[in-house]
Amino acid sequence: MRPARTATMGHMTTTATTTTTPVVGFEQVTRSYGSVRAVDGLTLALHPGETVALLGPNGAGKSTTLDLLLGLRQPDSGTVRVFGTSPREAIVAGRVGAMLQSGGLMDEVTVAELVRLACDLHPRPYKPGDVLARAGIAQIADRKVNKLSGGQAQRVRFALATAGDSDLIVLDEPTTGMDVSARQAFWSTMREQADQGRTVLFATHYLEEADAIADRVLVLHRGRLLADGTAAEIKAKAGARRVSFDLEGPIDEAPLRALPFLTSIDISGQTIRIQSTDADATVHALYGLGVYPRNLEVAGLGLEQAFVAITEAEEARQS
Amino acid sequence: MNGLIKLELLRALRNRKFLFFSVIYPSVIFLLASNQSGTNGKVDGTGLTVAAYVMVSMASFGALTAVLMGNSERIAKERESGWVRQLRLTPLPGRGYVLAKTASAAVVSLPSIVVVFLVAAAVKDVRLDAWQWLALTGAIWAGSLVFAALGVAIGYLASGDAVRPITMIIYFGLSILGGLWFPSSSFPAWLQDIANWLPTHAYAALGRAIEQSRAPHAQDVAILVAFFLLFAGGAAWLYRKDTLKA
Repeated sequence: MRPARTATMGHMTTTATTTTTPVVGFEQVTRSYGSVRAVDGLTLALHPGETVALLGPNGAGKSTTLDLLLGLRQPDSGTVRVFGTSPREAIVAGRVGAMLQSGGLMDEVTVAELVRLACDLHPRPYKPGDVLARAGIAQIADRKVNKLSGGQAQRVRFALATAGDSDLIVLDEPTTGMDVSARQAFWSTMREQADQGRTVLFATHYLEEADAIADRVLVLHRGRLLADGTAAEIKAKAGARRVSFDLEGPIDEAPLRALPFLTSIDISGQTIRIQSTDADATVHALYGLGVYPRNLEVAGLGLEQAFVAITEAEEARQS
Repeated sequence: MNGLIKLELLRALRNRKFLFFSVIYPSVIFLLASNQSGTNGKVDGTGLTVAAYVMVSMASFGALTAVLMGNSERIAKERESGWVRQLRLTPLPGRGYVLAKTASAAVVSLPSIVVVFLVAAAVKDVRLDAWQWLALTGAIWAGSLVFAALGVAIGYLASGDAVRPITMIIYFGLSILGGLWFPSSSFPAWLQDIANWLPTHAYAALGRAIEQSRAPHAQDVAILVAFFLLFAGGAAWLYRKDTLKA
């Protein structure tokens, strides 16, 4: 998909621990709960400085993937390496900061006390005051942790994840419980982290977040990697553009279905909707058929639609 | 690690209810219980005054309260809330959480022992040699580790909803049957046979041996060691099981 990356990955598998040690490396990782395969033969590599979105519907295996990455669960088979070591070793070395949805907070203590603890535990800590300010919780520093709103608690979790100079930040659906403005503020804070050269991996089901923030998107479905590329590439994979138009009179379907670069076609009444990987060529060929399309529209596909298209295609392929 | 102990301790000291029940309450019962039979009466077969006898019972009871009550409930609740999981994302070693909890409980249990001693000496004129006071404090404090391990084990065994009743049953069962509230010599014979094998009974017997200036019974020491190994082993096993479950 992205030639440069494929080359790197090929290089990596042959010379594992040289200069290109990936930040995170999954090798044929499988993890089941009973008869359900939450993660199924997952192989992936994250590289220094990337901001990566892990995208997938509920039950796609996102949380299990992050648990495996952080050493909270062990794979049934396959290997998980973080900075070339085991997840636990990477955490002990202070290289990973993580924020989990399921991560609880110690109650009956203040926000400042909890953040001070996180700084105290990190081998390369920042000053607690700076951590509070950067997470935007300086004004609630003296509040008891059990008296926080959902969004505030998320910011405290973020502060705990960024209490020290970690190289990889892992966030599981970090903006859950935040309103729109809090979400925007959160992501601008997050971008600062990424701009300092950190690798950021976040799981989300907000597609616009993946689209706006990530420079690489991993689409996970039923524990397997469906797509891996930039948001633009993911959209392209699903059929980059949508072409719709009306035709008058009886419609001859066969030549329409034979249009070049067409990935899907939907004919309802006089209206035809097409997804195409090269809309220009498709429209050009359409005029070549000698028809007169009315109300012609060519529009980009949102990541959301791309996502739906990819997962639907996968489901169709499997059944 | 030290930061976590400090924070756990701060939290325990802020909890007034917990402080009352582990530090003040045992002294109150001491005053009530030692009053009933008059200060100068002796407890059958021990050669100890009622006040001296009850003092050891209540110091042991206070230490038991401090190490058992807070931790079992906190651990069960924090496992459920995900705080234990969150801590596993820090460089804190896995045991650090349990050690911090035990250490903070030990800091609270020391005053609960000493306050009973001070009240006994000041109000009830209990007199012992200096070495006996020190040995008593040391023995009761060290012995409380047995019950700290039990508290950890319960915390990893019980769910957040069930932990309080389970802890209460074990706590009152061990206190009363072990003879901390009433001398076990007042029990019917069959109940005495049970009491003699309980860790709380051996725990208080350890303190009484010091009061009587004699070496503790080997059986009592063996019972305490056996229960410590059982509780600590159980806690370690449950902890590891919980870790695998994530």
